Amino acid sequence: MLLQQLADGIATGAIYSALALAIVLVFRASRTLNFAQGEFALLGAYVSWQLVVWGLPVWAALPVSMALLAVLSAASERALIRPLARRHQALPLIIVTLGLMIAINAVIGWAWTYQTKEVPALFGGGAVDLGGVAVSRQDIGIVLTVLVVAVVLGVLFEFTRWGLRMRAAVSAPESAELSGISTGRTMTMGWAIAGAVGALAGTLIAPELFLHPGMMAPVLIYAFAAATLGGLDSPVGALIGGLAVGVVENLAGSYLPHGSDFKQVVALVIIVVVLLVRPQGILGRREVVRV
Amino acid sequence: MTATSTRRRTGSPRPSRGSAVEWLRRPRPPLAPPRWLTIAGIAVGAAALAVVPLVNPSYINLTVTLVMIWTLVGLGLNLLVGFGGQVSLGHSAFFAIGAYAVAVGGEAGIPHPATLAIAAALPFLVGYVLGLPALRLHGLQLGLVTLAMAMATPAAIRALEPLTHGSRGIAIDGDPPAWIPLAHDQWVYYLALAAATIGYVVTRRLARGRLGRSFVAVRDAEIVAETLGVDVWRTKTRLFAASAAYAGVAGGLYAMLLEFVGPENFNLTLSISFVTLIVVGGLATVPGAVLGALFVQYVPTLTSSISPAATGAAYGAVLIAFAFFLPYGLVGLVRAALGRLVARLPGRRGT
Repeated sequence: MLLQQLADGIATGAIYSALALAIVLVFRASRTLNFAQGEFALLGAYVSWQLVVWGLPVWAALPVSMALLAVLSAASERALIRPLARRHQALPLIIVTLGLMIAINAVIGWAWTYQTKEVPALFGGGAVDLGGVAVSRQDIGIVLTVLVVAVVLGVLFEFTRWGLRMRAAVSAPESAELSGISTGRTMTMGWAIAGAVGALAGTLIAPELFLHPGMMAPVLIYAFAAATLGGLDSPVGALIGGLAVGVVENLAGSYLPHGSDFKQVVALVIIVVVLLVRPQGILGRREVVRV
Repeated sequence: MTATSTRRRTGSPRPSRGSAVEWLRRPRPPLAPPRWLTIAGIAVGAAALAVVPLVNPSYINLTVTLVMIWTLVGLGLNLLVGFGGQVSLGHSAFFAIGAYAVAVGGEAGIPHPATLAIAAALPFLVGYVLGLPALRLHGLQLGLVTLAMAMATPAAIRALEPLTHGSRGIAIDGDPPAWIPLAHDQWVYYLALAAATIGYVVTRRLARGRLGRSFVAVRDAEIVAETLGVDVWRTKTRLFAASAAYAGVAGGLYAMLLEFVGPENFNLTLSISFVTLIVVGGLATVPGAVLGALFVQYVPTLTSSISPAATGAAYGAVLIAFAFFLPYGLVGLVRAALGRLVARLPGRRGT
């Protein structure tokens, strides 16, 4: 029973990790939270669904949807975020990404109606028995995919020239500009990857949650909790945070009285506790302000 | 340190004749109408508002009452976000606490207008307690916490079932005491009118007085404010508490108006419409709450005839457009349009 709960928690946690990864990428790029991240992922899931309906196999639909969302995410960064990010004010950015969140959700509802849709599982149906714990193929696939994505992104950031530029642009924008790195381009790049990762997360989770316009809002808040827990500027932290949040959420749902209701308060509790006790998260860097 | 101020200082060098966008974005002083016009305006407005419920059918009273309820929320939220620079996406939670204070208080046998006092006091306390940790959070973090709060509100209501009756909700008897010869809708209308008027006057005085200036000082330059003797700690917690109390009273009136509360009344959409309200009306302006309240009451009725998705699309587009082009909201637009006209009216005090 407990092992089963843990396994389920890790599977949902992997999705939170993926979305938290997208949040972290955006945060590293523009020092802001994208409240529309969940709706980008939702849009990715709908694009995948539409392509499948048009006759594409789901594994072929996924890359197309990821590419499309990467372009869309990068475009919204260029058009909406960058002009405001230059002013270093939190409120306009929050308002704009919030507006983007509502608008995208409404457009999705408009285009695809509010009825639930079924997305085929990328890794097929059925379950595998792992030491007495039944785990669906899709769950195993999700966990492995997210791990691979995280490792690839980690390698990209740590060991490539491009990753070095990216890190330089984040940690010392002025010096980076002076040594010929276009910080604007790295910001757009960060948003593009975030969009693609989000579309991946959306498409992976859609078969389990059933695709409807309200699907991503709860996932987003858990992903925010995961990113906060792991540290908003740490990709590895996002991975760990996501898994931890997924497990805690599942355990709270099963073992607490009124579990399914308290479950939804878990994200709030995690966010508040982390921000008060260790605002930089497990693996994040502490923000030091020179007065 | 990133400042979370909502307006730029006016001193920045700008071309005097910029593009239309520059013209829209320019900060402007409040209108200064001559005294006779102010007095006449208040007299006519007060008379009209007092007569409305006596001559209209109840569904019109209902919508006008809702406008006054949203105004009250807007006044409080604008105090926090506009003047204080503290982001809150979670005011639906305080609104819900106020509504449930009235509902549960009524069930416990407390007579109804008196429950509104609880609807103010309880959110005030909760806001004060929440303001303590919020002191340590800035901008984005506070946005995150309050967003999570808004999303957890319906679930929290369901989880507190012994008190709230979970999803079944609570029915409320919103009728006036027997000695008052008013129908239900008229009674709640006058209560809301009284609350909104008091809220408006208090906010106006707060905004222009010492406290309002200390809010703005903390928003624009916290360290400078502290050096000049503003108690940042007290300012922020009071701000949060006061703002929550406004939302609480509004929630209480809302419960009395609808005579029913249930968890689904207080979802994220409500919080987002509150944020839209103050952004549309105009951040850090007092009359903005009224214009924003009119927007969130009447625009959804217009858009929902097009498509159920149109309201969301309109809110989203409006939020983005206002953040870019109209940082001072509709009030900024009104000031731009009427500023010169008002300045030419006879009878102004010396400028």
